[in-house]
Amino acid sequence: MTVGTRTGVRAGLIGGVVLVYLAMVGMIAAFDDLNLIGEQVTLGLVLLAAPPFGAALLAVRPRVVGGRVERPEPRAALVTGMLAGGLSGAVLGAWALVVDAIGIERVRQVFVAVSPKLMDIITFGRGLPVGAVILLVGGVVLGAVGGVWRTIRYDLRRPLSVGAGVVLLMGLLQRIVPTILDELSIERDWLYSKVTLGLTWLGAIVVFVVAAGVTAFVMDRRERAGAAAPGAGTVEGRRAFRGVLLLAVAFGLIVLPQLAGTIVSEILGSVGVYVLLALGLNIVTGYAGMLHLGFGAFFLIGAYSTALLTGANLVTAFGLVAPQFSANLDFYVALPLVIALGAGVGALLAAPVLRLRGDYLAIVTLAFGQIAVILVTSNWLQPITGGPQGLRDVTDAELLGVSFRTPQSFYYLVVAFCVIAVYVSWRLASSRTGRAWNAMREDEQVADAMGVNTPRYKLLGFAIGGAIGAVGGALFAVKVGTVQPGSFEILVSITTLAIVILGGLGSVPGVVVGALVLIGLPGLLSQFEEYRLLIYGAVLVAIMILRPQGLIPNVRRSRELQEEERTQDAWQQIFGEPESEQEPAAEDAR
Amino acid sequence: MSRLLEVSGITKHFGGLYALAGLDLHVDEGEIVSVIGPNGAGKSTLFNVTTGLYPPDEGDITFRGESIVGRRPNQITKLGIARTFQNVHLFPNMTVLENAMVGQHCRTRSGVFGTILQTPRTRREEREIRERASRALGFFGPRLAGYRQDQPAFVLSYANRRRLEMARALATDPTLILLDEPTAGMNPRETLELRDHIVRMRDELGLTVLVIEHDMRVVKGVSDRVIACDYGRKIAEGTYEEVAHDPQVIEAYLGTKAAG
Amino acid sequence: MSATGSRAVGGGALGRLERLPLRRIVLTALSIGVLVAVVYGSYRTLTLPAGQRYSASAWRDFIVLGIAQGAVYALIALGYTLVYGILRMINFAHGEVFMAGAFSSYFFADAWKDSGFMDDRTWLSLVLLVLIAMGVSVLVAVLLERIAYRPLRGAPRLVPLITAIGASLFLQNTFRGLFGSQTKGYPKPTALEGTWTILGIPIQKVQVIVLVVATVSMIALTLFVARTKTGKSMRAAAEDQEIASLMGIDVDRVIVTTFIIGGMLAGIAGVLFALTFGNISYFMGFAPGITAFTAAVLGGIGSISGAAIGGLTIGLLQSVGPALLLTGANVPSPFQLKDVVTFAILILVLVFRPGGILGTGEAEKV
Repeated sequence: MTVGTRTGVRAGLIGGVVLVYLAMVGMIAAFDDLNLIGEQVTLGLVLLAAPPFGAALLAVRPRVVGGRVERPEPRAALVTGMLAGGLSGAVLGAWALVVDAIGIERVRQVFVAVSPKLMDIITFGRGLPVGAVILLVGGVVLGAVGGVWRTIRYDLRRPLSVGAGVVLLMGLLQRIVPTILDELSIERDWLYSKVTLGLTWLGAIVVFVVAAGVTAFVMDRRERAGAAAPGAGTVEGRRAFRGVLLLAVAFGLIVLPQLAGTIVSEILGSVGVYVLLALGLNIVTGYAGMLHLGFGAFFLIGAYSTALLTGANLVTAFGLVAPQFSANLDFYVALPLVIALGAGVGALLAAPVLRLRGDYLAIVTLAFGQIAVILVTSNWLQPITGGPQGLRDVTDAELLGVSFRTPQSFYYLVVAFCVIAVYVSWRLASSRTGRAWNAMREDEQVADAMGVNTPRYKLLGFAIGGAIGAVGGALFAVKVGTVQPGSFEILVSITTLAIVILGGLGSVPGVVVGALVLIGLPGLLSQFEEYRLLIYGAVLVAIMILRPQGLIPNVRRSRELQEEERTQDAWQQIFGEPESEQEPAAEDAR
Repeated sequence: MSRLLEVSGITKHFGGLYALAGLDLHVDEGEIVSVIGPNGAGKSTLFNVTTGLYPPDEGDITFRGESIVGRRPNQITKLGIARTFQNVHLFPNMTVLENAMVGQHCRTRSGVFGTILQTPRTRREEREIRERASRALGFFGPRLAGYRQDQPAFVLSYANRRRLEMARALATDPTLILLDEPTAGMNPRETLELRDHIVRMRDELGLTVLVIEHDMRVVKGVSDRVIACDYGRKIAEGTYEEVAHDPQVIEAYLGTKAAG
Repeated sequence: MSATGSRAVGGGALGRLERLPLRRIVLTALSIGVLVAVVYGSYRTLTLPAGQRYSASAWRDFIVLGIAQGAVYALIALGYTLVYGILRMINFAHGEVFMAGAFSSYFFADAWKDSGFMDDRTWLSLVLLVLIAMGVSVLVAVLLERIAYRPLRGAPRLVPLITAIGASLFLQNTFRGLFGSQTKGYPKPTALEGTWTILGIPIQKVQVIVLVVATVSMIALTLFVARTKTGKSMRAAAEDQEIASLMGIDVDRVIVTTFIIGGMLAGIAGVLFALTFGNISYFMGFAPGITAFTAAVLGGIGSISGAAIGGLTIGLLQSVGPALLLTGANVPSPFQLKDVVTFAILILVLVFRPGGILGTGEAEKV
């Protein structure tokens, strides 16, 4: 076998396995309900198409062999791509045939997601064996495209991919955009179909053309400007661009809930709370470099303490009862107390374990978080915390006569707090404290040697993180009106961590984007909700392996000068030096 | 002239290996003292123990008459001892200036509240930190000045990295500075330049310097006193001439003396 | 004039607060607090009036259960400790390796119970179940190593940890997606219901099996590591990867072998666990995983005998602890808090003796 064949086969098998996985786990069937374009292109179809295409891309990617970059030539790439794509499709087809042979109902007893509906989808309604053939042929076609994709000129490729991406995005945002257009009384039936809820074919084509066109236009302009005066104007231009972007985003943030309706505002409110939480975790993990796996505990503490301090009641079998300890303070009077509590607990929990190495410290935070949850839900503390039923009648955070119970107004409340948190983060980043954290994160022992009291700054990081986390919990309690443990804590901890990692450790805009993707999407699209944790897990692994600096890397760290970084450097930026390279020095003996 | 640093009988072992086995030395104010000895003689361990990275198993170290054994590294820095490392340990992703600014950390006090509220005191202190750090960088002339200050530290050349590490140590406003093989890896011209810098540290900045060095040209050119170590103990002490001709020292080195 | 141009030249003094050995104060307070709590709780429990007190047979049952649990935890802990010994990383997803084995054996167990095979040929079916569980666990472990961990060798330690967390989430929810989210009851062979009386103590038959199998496995593992060539390579690589590879040891292969062994043990543990507790679910790996990790740390991570001792200790503490410490202190439903006991132990071990029981008492070099 030549190299091309071998890589093609390997990629094809990988693609096939991915397809079978997506089918068996139920994602294809679940996502098929979401119409993207017309009735034909559903999200399920996109999931079916992606692996063969991806396998082809994988198979023909340029390789470094013996110090030189090797790119397969177009004809070989085409063949390899077709092989990879076709094999992917064939694997799924073969799988379908096997399932059919065994009998769907029997398979279903073990693999619950394998349903007639699923088989229908992957055979495009034509049953087997025709369906298997379609899969094979479709795979070959997609593979062909994937194979030659890289050979297309960049200035043609970019607009095409951007166009496709924007169409996909518009399709996914089908709950928001039509509502906004309706509010603005803009004609929208040509764009979004009232029947399928997704884009219409006409709409899709228009969006594609516009997006691709704009991209091509911008690329052309940039090239011309670059050719005329190389380097000149780019920095200012970029800064101006960023300023405009910021204004646009701010405008959008303020205006969106008014246009987009209650449901979307509700989701945005959740996104906002998570942005707040993630900003807190960003300080602990992104700035101070301490992986915190129990962040949800502060969320919990904030929520419960808010409830208790503002006069919530226990839910018992006998009706509503006042908890053993409670007060009846106004929300804004209770808030400083909640913050102090969050900071205090954060510092206190961290105090005994500051000297621990990073991953042990992380596990301890996880343990603390779990302890907090178990205690709060236990029967022991039931007179205070309400056990599994929790507390009800949390106060409304009224301020100057304005109630924040509606989704829209709550959203603005959350945004206000987020702005404060962003400001605090921003200021801290370039301050003496921020420098100390940076130094600590990059090389703890050396930071110590340079006069930074590292245990103190670790404590500080935990305290601030705890405070912000508690505020998030307080807001959440206000929003929902009740406080219940559920499977609260670990979910919140993991979600917050995923947001920070996806967005980019230490990056504030990254946190916002991360929250929008990881909370907004499942909120908007119930299909995602079901597979939330699965996606979070995959995201964490993928980001760590492929792009550890996150989607929007911290500007300070990525230093716009260096775009391409060896992955090792990328890790080092975020986590500091690997221990093996550090000066050999043991911990303090007792 | 008072005894600034006094090391008495310190012992340190790692597992079965004795890095320091009863080492005595002292440094007086205003001196430049060199510590020489073959590899593995325990010299870096001496620095590590002195700056609090780990405590000695036995013995005592006093600075200005007060024992510093058991103190944390950042406390020792605050007391006035700064150091550089044998392998350069900068903060690679922070800018050159920021690296130096970290040095000023122990001399300043602004905290979280000052930063968030941007109090006048915090702003003033931040300005001062910048100026002082810049000044410390300026000790090495134009090499670490100007546009270089805003570049991330990892772009620096090797020699500049060593200089930055020293500047960072200088930025902590120390009384005593410990330099661990500062000229390792430098070419002859850079080495001689650095030799002059070390003398300037004493003459212009009033620092006391304790240097670990292998390059005898430097040792000869800067030292008021030389201390030779082997197997974790002092084997000779005196002027460069005295130590260079000491039979025990010659035996320990056996031919690694550089010409001249 | 100082280097920085400031007037206040060199040498600040240390403030009063800085001079205090704060850490020692906090730790001493903590240890006193823990001691007081333990003594108080135990005293109260043991001096309860006769009607509320636990009987001797109740204690005996707690202890037996603790040992049996502990054996299972020890098996899982070995997986953590072996991987940590070589790679210095915490394989957070090991709990899911355990779960995968248990889960996949379930389908066969269920089918065989229905068809009567399990009761007709009990021993054979058990052996087959264990083999199946081992196979799946090993597969998952090897895939983990290959896909998630190998690309990250040499990265700062937090990176593989985050990846492991992601992998753990992914595996949990993959099983949920594939097989559904309900807890499923694991069938027990009729022959294994009831108790055997050994040395006058009635012990559940299942528990006896657990003890026997676990002990045999651990002995086998110890012999393997001590006597065979692969075992020696593993020990060498755990000491120093670089030198080991210079000596001609294929470190990649050794690492894969380590994961395989860990997977095998986890698979065995999976079946034993399922037989003991009677059910399985997609999240069954989480708590045992952390508990086993605690056991490994408690015994001294990186040490095989440490994992065994740690497992047994944790098992006992989990079983006896809540009863002993909390009943007397009037804590309702103390067994709800058994995981709190485990987590508290984890924290205490890491604070006071990170090297574990068999460790040196010093923290590992940072």
